[in-house]
Amino acid sequence: MSNNRVSRRQFLGYTLTGVGGFMAAGMLMPMVRFAVDPILQQHEGGDFVLTDQAVADITEEPVRVDFAFEQVDAWYTSEVTNSAWVYKEGDKLIALSPVCKHLGCTVNWAGDTENPTQFFCPCHAGRYEKNGQNIAGTPPLGPLDEYEVRDQDGFVAIGAVRDNTLV
Amino acid sequence: MHFFGKEIDQYLNQQDYVDTAVIPLLPLDMSAAGMKSSAGASEYLQSLTALLEKQFKGRILLLPPISYAKIANRQRIAEELTEELKQTKFKHVFYLTTDAEWRTIDSLKNVLWLPAIPIEDMDQSFKKSVMEDQLRQVLPLFMKEWSHHS
Repeated sequence: MSNNRVSRRQFLGYTLTGVGGFMAAGMLMPMVRFAVDPILQQHEGGDFVLTDQAVADITEEPVRVDFAFEQVDAWYTSEVTNSAWVYKEGDKLIALSPVCKHLGCTVNWAGDTENPTQFFCPCHAGRYEKNGQNIAGTPPLGPLDEYEVRDQDGFVAIGAVRDNTLV
Repeated sequence: MHFFGKEIDQYLNQQDYVDTAVIPLLPLDMSAAGMKSSAGASEYLQSLTALLEKQFKGRILLLPPISYAKIANRQRIAEELTEELKQTKFKHVFYLTTDAEWRTIDSLKNVLWLPAIPIEDMDQSFKKSVMEDQLRQVLPLFMKEWSHHS
């Protein structure tokens, strides 16, 4: 037995503080959890659109991959289909936007028989290298935009559009 | 480009590049028997022209469809449209229609007549492949016209 004995009053005080603390914690914890919930949400994957193109089938030759998402225009919701030119650079997936930087036509890979390794815009004969670099002397003034892209369970998933990071 | 306020601003700045107008000609048949096929043809024509606009956004201005009653005088519509377009700088004007009667009107050049395909019952992906197929038939006509007179 130690020298400072616990009095009945002290014992009651300790027990009540302890039990009260647990009860308060039991009430506060869920409240805190609800309050901070928005920052704990996982954002990853939310903005990526899964396509039906298998990653294994992608080669170094760009292929057109279509993807659809819903777009709300004022009160009118419509399903919009966009496409991307996807190819592999080593093991890395690359997706380029098909929208010509001149006036917004759709560019095609190898659309011009004289330049089979370039993107070609049929409107005003704009051309781009495989990495999206615009070719000097043709109308476009900038490189093709790039999509964020990743491998999601073996299929290509396409995310947000951004400025070209390859050139 | 579409015939929207914002895109017309862009068009006015780029008239040298946007040298082609595309005008859908759309017959209206409001009789109980003809309404369904008329609506189907309208859906087809508007899907096709929207797809065409997406491909050639920077070179064509897609006007809203000119709709007319099925008894309308095509000759008069043709003359009025030609007159109105005289004020523009378009080098090429294409008319797309599903209405066979336009084939008898000689005063309009570049009328592309397309038999309407009923697309309303197709599922999304099939509809898309059908429309892209249709587009592939129309594209060469544009490319040919452009390479002749540019």
